Amino acid sequence: MIQFESVTKKYPNGQIALDDVNLKIEDGEFVFVTGLSGAGKSTLLKLITRETRPSVGKVLIDEQDILKIPEGKLPILRRRIGTIFQDFKLLLNRTVFENVAVPLEVLSQKDSHIEKEVSATLEKVGLLEKANNFPAQLSGGEIQRTAIARAIVAKPVVLLADEPTGDLDPKTAREVVELLEKINKEDKTTIIMATHNEAVVNHFKKRVIVLKKGKIEKDTKEGTYEAD
Amino acid sequence: MKQIKRTLKLLRRSPYHALAAILAMTLTFFITSLFVILILGGQLVLNYFEQQPELHIFFKEDVQDSKIEEIAQNTRTTGFVKEVKFISQEEALAIYRERFKDDPQLLESVTADYLPKSIEVAVTKPEGIIEITKLVKDKPEVEKVVSLSEKAIENLTSSVKVIRFGGIIFVSTLTVVSFLIIIMVVGMRIALRRDEISIMNLVGATKWYIARPFFLEGAFYGLVGASIAAFLTYAVLLFYSPNIQEFVEPIQIFPIHPVFFLYLWVGEVLIAAAIGVLGAAIALYRYLKIR
Repeated sequence: MIQFESVTKKYPNGQIALDDVNLKIEDGEFVFVTGLSGAGKSTLLKLITRETRPSVGKVLIDEQDILKIPEGKLPILRRRIGTIFQDFKLLLNRTVFENVAVPLEVLSQKDSHIEKEVSATLEKVGLLEKANNFPAQLSGGEIQRTAIARAIVAKPVVLLADEPTGDLDPKTAREVVELLEKINKEDKTTIIMATHNEAVVNHFKKRVIVLKKGKIEKDTKEGTYEAD
Repeated sequence: MKQIKRTLKLLRRSPYHALAAILAMTLTFFITSLFVILILGGQLVLNYFEQQPELHIFFKEDVQDSKIEEIAQNTRTTGFVKEVKFISQEEALAIYRERFKDDPQLLESVTADYLPKSIEVAVTKPEGIIEITKLVKDKPEVEKVVSLSEKAIENLTSSVKVIRFGGIIFVSTLTVVSFLIIIMVVGMRIALRRDEISIMNLVGATKWYIARPFFLEGAFYGLVGASIAAFLTYAVLLFYSPNIQEFVEPIQIFPIHPVFFLYLWVGEVLIAAAIGVLGAAIALYRYLKIR
């Protein structure tokens, strides 16, 4: 379970990204976080991976205050969280297989284990036949599926997706979210997806948290997209 | 093993950076090797002269052996004499023949009559050379006094000191340059891999996991650079050893024992690897704040 307790994040330039946010996300939930640009969606995700720290308040994962985790133990927290980005952040000089293998390599897993896990994950996202291709040889949807494969290969308990459909056409965007839904259902992975994509939010009927100027404006069980 | 493979793969991707770092290391340690050998060789030459202070007194043609014995006796009164050895014309010819045995033209026309009688005076202290020279040089029987004066030894000593001092300054400067090049090259590699490093951070790589290839890279530059330098030094000395030996005759410097080169190589590789690792550590701290 992920909890935000009275979390405020103020950046050094004075901008308040999140303002007294209280939030609970249960294990295995699929949550859309929506709101205009600058509403605080990305900051909310960055607080979960402790890429940034709150100015005030606590962030708890499974009742552990992640702010109290020493710097040297942060990798252990991050191994439990997978992240997908709008700009994919794939390594262009590595093949699909090599990109997906990165999280397992940093765990110093054996080659045979890496081979087995990466192949199984690529099969799950439908990219096994593209394993030896480089990102430049893939379509937008394939690139995002590679990024998803990399995010889930180490079997994280939480998957954070920051605008994963931002650069995709409507059909591909829906396919990507369908894949995330499949991961959520099959692996019981908690998914938190920040998005602007109205069609996707309205189609999948999941919990929707609407952020406005850093505050939670609405938190609906089977919500729809609300921009304002 | 996996880490070493990963590091080599990274080096292959931008070989020119690696080449610049290796060349800097090679140059530094090649010059270092030459200075080490020059200083040790200079010390050997100096030791030779310091341990063998002696002078040769050559006599005119018609001087009787009894007069020579008298002069030899005079030198003993200075208190600096360790040993006096009389060299007859026949013995002088034997020495001459031995020295020029490879040059028959020089041997052909020379007989014992052409060569002067002499005495070889070994002294206990270098200052004895000056005293004895003063004592005998104006005697009518004496043709010439030949010695390596104290002044010459002083000059030699100060030359070795200058080489040592100059060597330290020169090698230190080159070491600093190599060090800065390593920081720059590793820094550039960190910049090139910024995306990869940020992804690794996000997927839970430890700082040590991220830093390790850069440390290995620094050590690799040191290892390869110093090894090439040691090999070059060996080759250069092997090639020039006959000329150098001829120049310093009769002091025996060559052949240098192979174990010396082994020590030189191991010592330089360790120092170079330490420079590489330290350079990488500074680059990592500077660009990634990894301590």
